[in-house]
Amino acid sequence: MIYVENLRKEFKKTIKEPGLLGSFKSLFHPKSEKIVAVDDISFEVPEGEILGFIGPNGAGKSTVIKMLTGILTPTSGKCTINGKNPTVDRKSYVKEIGVVFGQRTQLWWDLPLRETYGVLKEIYEVPEDRYHKRMAFLNEVLDLESFITSPVRTLSLGQRMRADIAASLLHSPKVLFLDEPTIGLDVVVKDNIRNAIDYINKTEKTTVILTTHDLADIETLSKRIVMIDKGQNVFDGTISELKSKYGQIRELHFDTDTANVEQALAYAEHFGISDDVVTTETDGKSVKVRFNSSVVPVSDMLSYTLGKINVNDISVKDADIEEIIRRLYKQGVQDEEKA
Amino acid sequence: MKRKLKIYTPFINAGIQETATYRVNWIFYMLGNVLACFVSYFIWKAVYTSSGESSMNGFTMPQMVVYIFLMYLTSTMVSSDSAYLIGEEIRDGSIAMRLVKPVSFNGTFLFQEIGNKLMTICVLIIPLVVGVEIVRVVFTGSVQFNFISFLLYLISCTFAYLINFFFNICFGFIAFIIKYLWGVNLMKNCIVGFLSGAIIPLAFLPKPLEQVFLFLPFSSLNYTPVMIYMGMYSGTTLLYYICLQIFWVVAFWGMSKLFWRICVKHLSVQGG
Repeated sequence: MIYVENLRKEFKKTIKEPGLLGSFKSLFHPKSEKIVAVDDISFEVPEGEILGFIGPNGAGKSTVIKMLTGILTPTSGKCTINGKNPTVDRKSYVKEIGVVFGQRTQLWWDLPLRETYGVLKEIYEVPEDRYHKRMAFLNEVLDLESFITSPVRTLSLGQRMRADIAASLLHSPKVLFLDEPTIGLDVVVKDNIRNAIDYINKTEKTTVILTTHDLADIETLSKRIVMIDKGQNVFDGTISELKSKYGQIRELHFDTDTANVEQALAYAEHFGISDDVVTTETDGKSVKVRFNSSVVPVSDMLSYTLGKINVNDISVKDADIEEIIRRLYKQGVQDEEKA
Repeated sequence: MKRKLKIYTPFINAGIQETATYRVNWIFYMLGNVLACFVSYFIWKAVYTSSGESSMNGFTMPQMVVYIFLMYLTSTMVSSDSAYLIGEEIRDGSIAMRLVKPVSFNGTFLFQEIGNKLMTICVLIIPLVVGVEIVRVVFTGSVQFNFISFLLYLISCTFAYLINFFFNICFGFIAFIIKYLWGVNLMKNCIVGFLSGAIIPLAFLPKPLEQVFLFLPFSSLNYTPVMIYMGMYSGTTLLYYICLQIFWVVAFWGMSKLFWRICVKHLSVQGG
């Protein structure tokens, strides 16, 4: 369905030297630098799969999505989707895909929402009867009825995102690209959108590629993830593989009045573990302890901490996705060095 | 062809509705331009009065009045914002959304702009043409309106608009390289205004310069339609200028296609 081979994208970037003098210099004698945004990425996605595509900011996720949707031309490498090359057969290719960029909109800003769907109907040549059925279906899944006559600029972010997803699905695309579809949304709308994506994927066998910073998006939707960092592929596998490997990191946050918490607690000595497994950071009163929950169970950690010192406001958190990626990337580099 | 037209008609509709959304802005924009016309009129009036001659370079004062107002109508009809729009879309990255649709990039801009202009044209054309004709009747004492000239004028305006549109598309593609067009665009508008005769009639220029300017594509934008309306061109001259317009339409259309192909490879979408 989707084949990506050795994809690479370079950008030229002009560098401005600092200060006023620098601005003058770069006005007449601009210096440029080559930046590799995507470096040799390969993966495959079979039909009907939801692929979670993750990585820290600036990792190159959006650049990959833009190449897959035919917006950017790769410097080298190849991507084939439905047997088509996005940059070569742009017009016929984009008929079969739907795209949502969470930070942009494809809706007509000044027109009532309904008009956008009317325009899209003609662009994608959707027949009248199919259009009505489809709109009824999308309305049911994404609940558009209450704001379909309002101008797009008056919609809330959650409404706009639902409307945008509906717009990308109007022509029943075979592949759906979602670039951060839940960015800045509240929990209820996030849930709503996840359910809609899941439902469309199950009922229509739509292949979905999804980028996000919210691990919960990935957990509810996709079985498989591809993780990239600094333009390179660092992980390709299932969620459970990722979790068993890297998802056991927990963070314990609390406030305390005790001075010298690190010495008072001395986790490493108490549990008989190395300093890698548990790290403690203090910032005034607040303390952050990061530990591997497969080595030290959360309950042990809590009871020990609470028994040892006086604690206010304690909480346990999953390590965020950036943290996992950071660990993963370090691991990747170490593996390569060993090999 | 019919199929294609059906795809792009919603862009015309959307364009009309967009203009309608910002009615007040639109009204003030037109009022501002009408005021500029009157400023121009008083300047020329002063020039004619102080020179003491009734005709300068083949233009009498009444003809000059007609020229000024027709020039305003024509430049409004044939104006194109596509360079600016492309520049903006490249600057804020929203061009990405246009590229993921199965439509021609140039086509969407063209039809959206036609929609944007349609209302302006409908509102302006009748009062201005009637006004200009009244001025002519008052000064000459007889009805000068020639339906065939008017029809030819409309045809010439259509070609002029297409030249301007494709020229602006080509120009807008510079934004793919320099990323932000505002300053360059300002300079372009100034130069084009002069070359197209919007500021002073080309007949007022030194002869060799006039000949060069008449061949350049810019005189086809405003000067040719206005001259046709005023009945200054006829017979083979008329045919020559219409053919020149067609030539420039085709030339810029071809160039815009070529530029598009080159530029799309250089695209780097800004901002996320």
